[in-house]
Amino acid sequence: MNAARALKVALPLGVLVVLAIVPLSATPYTNYQLSLVGTFAVAILGLNIVSGYAGQISLGQSAFMGVGAYAAAFGVAHGWPVVLSFVVAALLPAAIGALVAIPAVRLRGNALAVVTIILPIIAVPLAKRYAGVTGGSEGRSVDWAHVPSGTGLEDDQWRYYLVLVIAAVLFLLGRNILSGRIGRAFAIVRTNEAVASAMGISAHRYKVVAFTIAACYGGAAGFLYVLVVQFASPDLLNFQVAINMLAALVIGGFANLWGAVIAGLFYVYVPVVAGAVDPSRTNIFYGAVVLVVLFIVPGGVSGGIVRLVRALLARLPDRYRRFTGVDPQAGPASPVPPQPDASGPEPTPPSLRAGAGSRKEPQ
Amino acid sequence: MQHAIQQIVDGLAAGSIYGALALALVLVYRATGMINFAQGLLAVASTYIAWSVWRAGSPLIAAVVLAVAAALVLGAFTERVVIRRFEGGPPHTAVVATIALLILINGLTGSIWGYVSQPFPSLFPSGTVTVGGVVLAIPSLATTGVLIVVVVLLQLLFLRTRLGLALRAVADNADSSALSGLNVGRLLMVGWALAAALGALAGVLIAPKVYLDPTMMDTILVYALAAAVLGGLDSPLGAVVAAWIIGVTENLAGTYIPYVRDDLKIGVPLVAMFVILLTRPQGLFGRRKAARV
Repeated sequence: MNAARALKVALPLGVLVVLAIVPLSATPYTNYQLSLVGTFAVAILGLNIVSGYAGQISLGQSAFMGVGAYAAAFGVAHGWPVVLSFVVAALLPAAIGALVAIPAVRLRGNALAVVTIILPIIAVPLAKRYAGVTGGSEGRSVDWAHVPSGTGLEDDQWRYYLVLVIAAVLFLLGRNILSGRIGRAFAIVRTNEAVASAMGISAHRYKVVAFTIAACYGGAAGFLYVLVVQFASPDLLNFQVAINMLAALVIGGFANLWGAVIAGLFYVYVPVVAGAVDPSRTNIFYGAVVLVVLFIVPGGVSGGIVRLVRALLARLPDRYRRFTGVDPQAGPASPVPPQPDASGPEPTPPSLRAGAGSRKEPQ
Repeated sequence: MQHAIQQIVDGLAAGSIYGALALALVLVYRATGMINFAQGLLAVASTYIAWSVWRAGSPLIAAVVLAVAAALVLGAFTERVVIRRFEGGPPHTAVVATIALLILINGLTGSIWGYVSQPFPSLFPSGTVTVGGVVLAIPSLATTGVLIVVVVLLQLLFLRTRLGLALRAVADNADSSALSGLNVGRLLMVGWALAAALGALAGVLIAPKVYLDPTMMDTILVYALAAAVLGGLDSPLGAVVAAWIIGVTENLAGTYIPYVRDDLKIGVPLVAMFVILLTRPQGLFGRRKAARV
């Protein structure tokens, strides 16, 4: 195991440890906001899977999140077991996503994005109409997920930990899906559909898979939302939520797991910082920053960091480079993370190539 | 029956407004191969310009002409400064860029003109005419008339002028056009400018009905997107016909199907679009394209 590999394991673990310590001393409001970051990170990870990894822009993620939230709130209000609420909150949106995607993926690329708008546009009036299930325009409040007595924690800390654990599991699951066969199929579908079908990979099928997974993550995030906010309302379904999530994802970084986390931070904190002055600032900030990102750092914040780290590592002397596993010949990293099991032979270990035109070891 | 005819005429009027914006989307799509999600917000900004000029005391018609001129500049500027970077790139990056523009222009119009809805005067006198025993609203007839005039003018532009020929050439094959000495970049700018002008027209036509605010065009954009996709994305005629179909069906469904009512009538054209696209993925008037490896 080389240093880069070790870093890949150590970094998430380190982040998790820090995240586990933070809520013990933070204010309840900070814990609430951080729980929301985790919630939206999960929803945006779903969006990242369909839009970032599989290359299909979706403007409907808020609808899946909203359906998940309503399912969770409905389950809680009717005294369902928590696990059942979670399963329904995740699977109902997934089923809707699959049902819409199966016919929709036949459309030409651009038209697909248009079709995805339909979901939030129709979901909002439907949610208001069926007040018996959804609570109508006011939404449905619930009172649950209180900390078990004897733990010494407060409600906000308890909910934070629940979100942290569920989000961590979902991210791990996502990482495994994306680094395997399905992830490689997404990459080729995104790059060139014709090549994908020539390789025997059905673009249609994998787009449906991507939409379904995205909807499932959206639904799970809806469950987390109800856990944190104790409330589900038509505002969550709104089209505006979906496009702001997409904007946050572009800033965080397409096709990168950390991109979804950074996007979650942006999604929750930008309105807090910008909106304190003037609500229209949030939109100006999002619009301008997304354009800047597209112009200057196509990989977003996470892609930019990856590039920066590689550039720094590449400047290390040879004997260190051997341990970091960074190939100085590779140049700046592409915004897309390398596919681990991409076809073709293993790249030559850098140590075997050391000295081939690279910088001399300083004495 | 009379009631139904009134509903159809009102539907045509609504469809004409969707059609103007759908035409804008089609112009942009034909020129640069992208769907401009910011088209509605460009229209909102232009409408605010008309509103400001009108509030300053100018006659309404002059304010509208000025706004359309401003929209030409705004569209050309957007293409040159932002969109040029994403032409020929991956389509999903272009989509994201136009969505960023949507969010940005929403914030800018909001901070300049505020989020409070403003009343906007109608270009046409309110009132009715009676044709064969059916009472029809003048604004509805006039709106439909305006769209028909616009379509005819566009047809003349595209089929009878050198500029139109050049625009069609660039839409058909940008590389060959460049080799034949056409200034492709400038022609794409013209395409975006024309689209923005059409959007401005849609904006001043709808504003009297829904009041002017930064989210005014959001639903109109959804209808226009549905019309453009349904019409085949590259067919101006298809977009207009589809927009009329959408306007009439939603109005009839909202009136005569008890379940739909007013809140769900936007769902009708969207579901219809979805169903039609299942059988004809290229749209009603679109051409099938074969992908080449």
